[in-house]
Amino acid sequence: MAPSSARQIGTVVKYELLKYLRGRRLLAIVLLTIIISSIFLIVPPAIGTQYEKDPKEFIGQMLGFLGILSILSATFFGADAIVSEFESKTGFLLFPNPIRKEVIFGGKFIASALVSVGTIALYYAIAITSVRVIDGSIPANTGLSFAYALAYLFAILAISYLFSAIMSSSVYSLILTFFSFFLILPIVDAVGSIAKFKPWFSITFAAGIATYIFDIPYPTDKAFTTTTGPQAASGASQTLSLTQYYPEVQLSLYVMGAYFIVALILSVLLMRRRQM
Amino acid sequence: MTDPIVIERLSKEYGQYVALNDLSLRIEKGVCVGYLGPNGAGKTTTIKILTNLLRATSGRAYLNGEDVINHPKSALDHVGAVVETPEFYPQLTPRECLSYIGTIRGMKSSAVAERTHAVLEQVKLLEVVDNRTRTFSKGMKQRLAIAQALLHEPAVLILDEPTSGLDPRGMVEVRDMIKELKKTDITILMSSHLLNEVQEVCDKVAIIDRGTLLTYDSVQHLSATKGTTVVINTLNPITAAEFRAVKALRGVRALKRIETLTLVAQLDGGTKEQFTVLRGILATGVKVTSFIPRRGAIEDVYLSLIPEGEF
Ligand SMILES: Nc1ncnc2c1ncn2[C@@H]1O[C@H](COP(=O)(O)OP(=O)(O)O)[C@@H](O)[C@H]1O
Ligand SMILES: [Mg+2]
Repeated sequence: MAPSSARQIGTVVKYELLKYLRGRRLLAIVLLTIIISSIFLIVPPAIGTQYEKDPKEFIGQMLGFLGILSILSATFFGADAIVSEFESKTGFLLFPNPIRKEVIFGGKFIASALVSVGTIALYYAIAITSVRVIDGSIPANTGLSFAYALAYLFAILAISYLFSAIMSSSVYSLILTFFSFFLILPIVDAVGSIAKFKPWFSITFAAGIATYIFDIPYPTDKAFTTTTGPQAASGASQTLSLTQYYPEVQLSLYVMGAYFIVALILSVLLMRRRQM
Repeated sequence: MTDPIVIERLSKEYGQYVALNDLSLRIEKGVCVGYLGPNGAGKTTTIKILTNLLRATSGRAYLNGEDVINHPKSALDHVGAVVETPEFYPQLTPRECLSYIGTIRGMKSSAVAERTHAVLEQVKLLEVVDNRTRTFSKGMKQRLAIAQALLHEPAVLILDEPTSGLDPRGMVEVRDMIKELKKTDITILMSSHLLNEVQEVCDKVAIIDRGTLLTYDSVQHLSATKGTTVVINTLNPITAAEFRAVKALRGVRALKRIETLTLVAQLDGGTKEQFTVLRGILATGVKVTSFIPRRGAIEDVYLSLIPEGEF
């Protein structure tokens, strides 16, 4: 008799993790996390400047690559998780077994979530340790920041699974995932700032809560103008009015939760329907 | 008791294209069925539906009495399958791949270890048990695929062109393995486009073309009804008296001399009749140097059922 679905999920997680350990991506992202973090520790002494004294500012610097690391995790561990079984024909081996597709999906998602959370946790651990050692204290809200970072991570990981359930090729799914979060949505966010609409629905905009939470009090939207072109004296100057929008914490968490749930449900349905 | 493989009015359409057309097939326990047809006939499509890789447009399929379409988990419980040439996770070794698959199927780790050794020995991959599959050739992957299908000693074995991608020796070895398995009460459905393979290995043959089942019969029965053509070579030119004696033998439908030392005989029946005729010829004093059935009975049936220009 085939085991229960719960035990089969455990098996899938175990072997997915083994595949990560053997592959290059996990090693690459761990190395990248360490290298990024070291830059902020090595550069100031090397060029003869002091470390940032304010722990809040310092952790802000250290966590400056949070977005890109989250995007890389989602890309590396989520973006080809489903499509690769179909594209590289390993599905011919896995699917004709007494196991539900949802169980395969669940095991894969848990395994990729574990390594992605591990990556972000390592990043925070290095940042927190450095700030603690160099500045002597840990800024307020660091725990909340970590929690928000994970909320963002889960949301984009789920979306990367959705791409991997839709796309017919691993390469396209990897590219789509990376550029959606790295380029396309950030452009939407920037346009919002000029066109005066608040991109509260954008997942990359919402991601800001993980770093803004260090600001006390929490920042609110601000309008400001900049002058461009020749100086006012010539009479041809243009003023550009922009608004600096800040994501609201609660709304952003709802947005992330909604992306997570909808993307996950859609990807399971699509994977079930998908044929070899 | 229900038959281990039951296909009822199965259809599969890819858009407008009908790949399977109302196909029904019922395979009894312990029988090895060859699923024959030209390329594109619908063999792989049938097997993919049976193994939960593809959804049927309509119809039902049951494995060991369980509905594959609605309850794939229980239906596939005692089934081993090789579909096309599967790929393995390149980062894992055969031992790890088999352990993954075996655990999913509910085998204990001791049983997995024991069976891993047995099946890898059978397919001659024991030496590479701890090498990553990344470097494996197509033939090695095909053999590993067969090994994983046999890992849990399934009651039903479904093989899609099991000898494709193998070199001649590998083909013989796989056929011998299947013949060995037939001594147990396993039920086997194997697709093939190789007529001699099916004739050699299988008990029954199902012939499919353009998604329609054309015939389903035992190899023996087909041989008995279709007869065999035999090419006979002799040491000396055959005399007129000898020719008449051979022609008069029971079981010889027709006899023709095509060269000085070569005769072609049309015989009734299959291998049993061939033996009787050969013994009769030798008894007439003709010195036979070779006695070669020219085409298999299945080939005759196949060629008569499947229109020309299909492959
Ligand atoms: N995904 C697909 N989309 C459209 N047509 C397909 C698809 N898969 C198979 N076919 C067509 O269905 C027919 C049967 O294919 P298949 O079952 O693979 O044949 P066989 O295994 O007998 O060679 C072929 O004509 C093939 O081109
Ligand atoms: Mg085929």
